[in-house]
Amino acid sequence: MADIPHVRLNLSNRPENVLLVRQTLSGLAETIELDPIELNDISTAVSEACNNVVLHAYEGAKGPLDVEVCAGSEGLEVVVRDHGGGIRPRLEPRDENAPGGIGLPVIHALSTRVEFLEPPGGGTEVRMVFATPAGADLGPAPEELELQAAVPDTEPEELADLMAITIGPGSVAHAVLPRVLCALAARAYFSTDRISDTQLLADALVAHAEGSIDTSRLNVGIRVAPRVLEMNVGPLRAGSAADGLGAVLETLGDGHEVSHAGASEILALHLAARR
Amino acid sequence: MSAVALDTATTHAVPTQDLRELFVRWQTRGDHEAREQLVRRFMPLARSLARRYGRSSEPFEDLLQVASLGLLKALDRYDVERGHAFQSFAVPTILGEMRRYFRDSGWAVHVPRGAQERALKVRDAQERMANERGHAPTVNQLAEYLEFDVEEVIDALQAIQAYETVSLDAPRPGADDDAGSSYGDSIGGDDARYELVELDATVSSVLGHIPPRERMILKMRFVEDLTQTEIAERVGISQMQVSRLLRRSLDQLRALTRAPGAAR
Repeated sequence: MADIPHVRLNLSNRPENVLLVRQTLSGLAETIELDPIELNDISTAVSEACNNVVLHAYEGAKGPLDVEVCAGSEGLEVVVRDHGGGIRPRLEPRDENAPGGIGLPVIHALSTRVEFLEPPGGGTEVRMVFATPAGADLGPAPEELELQAAVPDTEPEELADLMAITIGPGSVAHAVLPRVLCALAARAYFSTDRISDTQLLADALVAHAEGSIDTSRLNVGIRVAPRVLEMNVGPLRAGSAADGLGAVLETLGDGHEVSHAGASEILALHLAARR
Repeated sequence: MSAVALDTATTHAVPTQDLRELFVRWQTRGDHEAREQLVRRFMPLARSLARRYGRSSEPFEDLLQVASLGLLKALDRYDVERGHAFQSFAVPTILGEMRRYFRDSGWAVHVPRGAQERALKVRDAQERMANERGHAPTVNQLAEYLEFDVEEVIDALQAIQAYETVSLDAPRPGADDDAGSSYGDSIGGDDARYELVELDATVSSVLGHIPPRERMILKMRFVEDLTQTEIAERVGISQMQVSRLLRRSLDQLRALTRAPGAAR
């Protein structure tokens, strides 16, 4: 089914990436008509699961934070995955006054159902289901997608962060991508002027992609560093990558390039803070 | 390590002897001193939940009060004999209290008061800083200036984009309306079409459907390549309004060019 709201974020375990997850949920809430209280519940629980990965999964080292949101038969399903140590619940009693997170009780209290899984290959997967009136008739979860845009390929810098976003259908991308890019542009020290340019560009990209991708999912690879935002969008249908985006790309962007990936094209975009 | 991280331990902990005694003293004998000790002990929990659940919404002090009320209810209802940790009982009770407060205060249907106030403060600060510096501030600068966190500023920027209310569209105090409209008049219909041909051949054919002020702003951004702040200054509206108008007219253009028969 093409129209099931679905977003996948392949992020790193940086604390500031939790904000991207929250912005994604806010955008999604608009398209599936969650009320602000439902959104607040979901956002709080999911933040706890993400913070858990950020703070504890890798013991100070870098590692992936993968988040997948889709509207399943029971409501909204959110999966937060890490590739860290795995769950080893400690069952022995502990002093209640010991400093400790309240993450788990919060997740339990706010979700309809939660499972903690250990996927093969290690790590922890927190699978949360939020039964929402809006989610109830959204149909089954989409099958796993193979295609993904390549993340801009540059040597790792301490300050740069790389991520990939898969998102669809168009209405969801339209609500989510500008929000995520707004948060990233803010992180890259863009002025509010440029942030809003970035959002206009995101709008245009989503509208453009709707006519030039074969699936209903848009793939965006992103590299964010101080004063720079780079994106790889695609795969797009051959010959369509930058077609019709001319003025928007020229004025709002700071350079773009079309490369070929097999029979398809990838649109690479460069955005700078300017001043 | 995930084990610590998930903090399964706290949910399985049983109340220690002194805690148990405090609960018994309060619940069976109405000993207020015992209750006070319990409140002091678990206030950090209420505070932490208010911060997590209520972020970006109501003023923190209001939420803390609601969370404290939830804590008091939990202290009354907790059953020591069942052997569960107080925390795992209190968390849903306190969250439930805050949730009810949001429902009762119309949060589900209105933009929360706190968020609304923040959006206005962000908009005003953005304008003031842009005027003082001659260019738009960054989110970090706004956050520092207003003592908000970055997420609050970002949410405010989104809110300003989304608000369709008249209040945000109303002329800004001190803005020179005539300057804006006369500039609009001066470019005229056909003129604007001609100049915006560069924008896109298909687009130019539907530009006539875009109101004059929006056309003028499109031209300033895409033909003259002015920044949004520069446009705001010339037209006498805020940069946020420029941003919103641009977004709206680009959406409109896209819809028009896609509509059958639009490109004549």
